[in-house]
Amino acid sequence: MTERTEALTLVTCTSCGKPIPPGTEATKFLCPNCGEILIRRCAKCRAFGRPYKCPKCGFVGP
Amino acid sequence: MSEDKEIKDEKFGKEGETTSVSIEEELLLPQDMLLSAGIHIGTRTKTKDIEQFIYRVRPDGLFVLDVKKTDERIRVAAKFLARFEPSKIASAAARLYAQEPVRKFCELTGAIPIAGRFIPGLLSNPLYPNRIEPDVLIVSDPRADSQAVREASSVGIPIVALCSTDNDFSGVDLLIPTNNKGRRALAVIYWLLTRQILRERGELPPDKDLPLTIEDFEAKFLREREGG
Repeated sequence: MTERTEALTLVTCTSCGKPIPPGTEATKFLCPNCGEILIRRCAKCRAFGRPYKCPKCGFVGP
Repeated sequence: MSEDKEIKDEKFGKEGETTSVSIEEELLLPQDMLLSAGIHIGTRTKTKDIEQFIYRVRPDGLFVLDVKKTDERIRVAAKFLARFEPSKIASAAARLYAQEPVRKFCELTGAIPIAGRFIPGLLSNPLYPNRIEPDVLIVSDPRADSQAVREASSVGIPIVALCSTDNDFSGVDLLIPTNNKGRRALAVIYWLLTRQILRERGELPPDKDLPLTIEDFEAKFLREREGG
């Protein structure tokens, strides 16, 4: 019997770079300035108001 | 800029008018109109988060916001909100002075108004019959509308907030630094936001104004009470 293992890829937070576990109070939205990059923020970064930066246009929020 | 010049600019006296000409061209409204509405007036309290938007501190301890940064953020917020379907935008206003501007904003943009008390569960309780499911939430004051911010965070929708110098960024995804307590200031901000959203959507030509004036956006309950 062969065992197949598949790696689970989690999306990462734009602010802290850590993986966002499913089911948490995270959010995602397109960059408010350029609208091309999907910004993802984990619950902790949202609660602490940590800044995020768009990798394309350089917009810094919140 | 020297201290004397800054004060002149702020009071937009005769000397101030000449110095503000170069900035006026870039702003959404003339600088003297923005300043007379008091959108730059903060509070005597300052949070660490909002420091980047503070222009200076007045001798009486009042923190003054940078009008140019407010203007920039209104443009960015309008671009952001214009990407959403109108019926999927909700705007909450617990403050009395923000309720009328929010109603007018929603009337023109097609958003959902949540004026007055935010009923707990309006966003997050699936058993509540009048539950709404917006894709983005606008709040007039993250502290006054804390219940709305909490529920929007729990359902994972982005929050756009009008923040003054005493607000922190907790739960906020995009902020507009402005005076969120003044009657005229709130009317001007919502009027500008409405106009800019409609322009971004292509529903309003770039050289045209809204059918409603800033005065229409102002809360009028005081005048009615005086009249009655």
